[in-house]
Amino acid sequence: MGEDSEWVTPGEVLGKASKFKAGRGAYVSPDNLTVYASLTGLRRILSPPPDSPDQRPTVEVTGHKAHGAIPEPGSIVIARVTKVMARMASADIMCLGTKSVREKFTGIIRLQDVRATEIDKVDMHMSFHPGDIVRAVVLSLGDARAYYLSTAKNELGVISAQSAAGATMVPISWTEMQCPLTGQIEQRKVAKVGG
Amino acid sequence: MAGKGGATPSTYSPSPTTQKTKSLSFGNDEVLRPDDREWHQCRPAFFQIGVVAAAAGSAYADFGSTKVIVSVFGPRESKKAVMYSDIGRLNCTVSYTNFATPVRGQGSDHKEFSSMLHKALEGAIILETFPKTTVDVFALVLESGGSDLPVVISCASLALADAGIMMYDLVTSVSVSCLGKNLVLDPTLEEESHQDGSLILTCMPSRDEVTQLTITGEWSTPKINEGMKICTDACSKFSQIMKSCLKGFDSALEEEDSNVD
Repeated sequence: MGEDSEWVTPGEVLGKASKFKAGRGAYVSPDNLTVYASLTGLRRILSPPPDSPDQRPTVEVTGHKAHGAIPEPGSIVIARVTKVMARMASADIMCLGTKSVREKFTGIIRLQDVRATEIDKVDMHMSFHPGDIVRAVVLSLGDARAYYLSTAKNELGVISAQSAAGATMVPISWTEMQCPLTGQIEQRKVAKVGG
Repeated sequence: MAGKGGATPSTYSPSPTTQKTKSLSFGNDEVLRPDDREWHQCRPAFFQIGVVAAAAGSAYADFGSTKVIVSVFGPRESKKAVMYSDIGRLNCTVSYTNFATPVRGQGSDHKEFSSMLHKALEGAIILETFPKTTVDVFALVLESGGSDLPVVISCASLALADAGIMMYDLVTSVSVSCLGKNLVLDPTLEEESHQDGSLILTCMPSRDEVTQLTITGEWSTPKINEGMKICTDACSKFSQIMKSCLKGFDSALEEEDSNVD
């Protein structure tokens, strides 16, 4: 049944809701309990996991290009800091997970979301500088202007930064990075990369 | 007047079609339409997707001399000025090229088309799938040959499908004109200029749902019934063409993919 595949277009009937669950690219119409496709692509039927209480197979539509990724709460993003203010820093989201975004999205990291401990002692200017590349998690859709981002985890924070001399700095502690050219030490909210 | 009648006009403009074709004599059933169609026959339709490389999705449609191109961008960040919303936004713009109409620059007086396109499409798009962001739909009428808005709507739904925007169904749209006692399907510009009334039906064919119905002019109830019947019939035929367009592109892709593998 897994090899059963064909090209479908939006609005095509994929089956009855009593027989199938709607996966990605499909939806159930509450009027007639029918599963329709909502995307163009290849129809695939996935068997349910053996221990699941719902034994209906899932039908999904994939294969054709989907629209560009958009941030959603919980997704890990790579962003470039554009502006650092006393209570927040704004950043342009560049990647969502491993995918680059097609369109620009702006996010803000608020003072209380920079790190998990001693959050009352955080200084924004000692955590980020404009141009830093940070890894962050999307907290929420935020307000009308921006997504709310957080770096309050060990593996989140600055992953790449340039020193005043223009060299890529090397992290030397949780809060410090050093310039390989001048030996100057700058303050950052450093992310734990790898390991 | 005398200057206009001169043999060599200073700028190019297409000669008005009324002078070339035989004059319309409506009311006579044996007479065919200026382009030799039956009353309930559509113009040959042609669709193509993926025509604008810079857009997330795009489509070109060509119904006789009506030619439109629609590009879809996004979902992308909403403008700073708008309020926060849990669902996505749709932003539609219909514009005419300067050379779309027989008289240059005449197409700009279709301001209401943008909002009508928006209303026709928004019911078919699953806006919940892209919260807080905006999808922009830009339609450009390259040549106005009658039934412009229905062609734009159908073409836009194809472009949205090409962009991978989740939709409940494809949207197709057809118009009929009331000319005397006849109903003409898919009217040309010339027929539209003689019409007593027009009916534009926009529907989701496989769901049997109407997203928009616009009726202008004089109509009797039986006429509206007949007109809607003709339109729904034509819509389901167009949806077949649009589906095969989407699939044709995909099957070509599939072949390429399998060659690479």
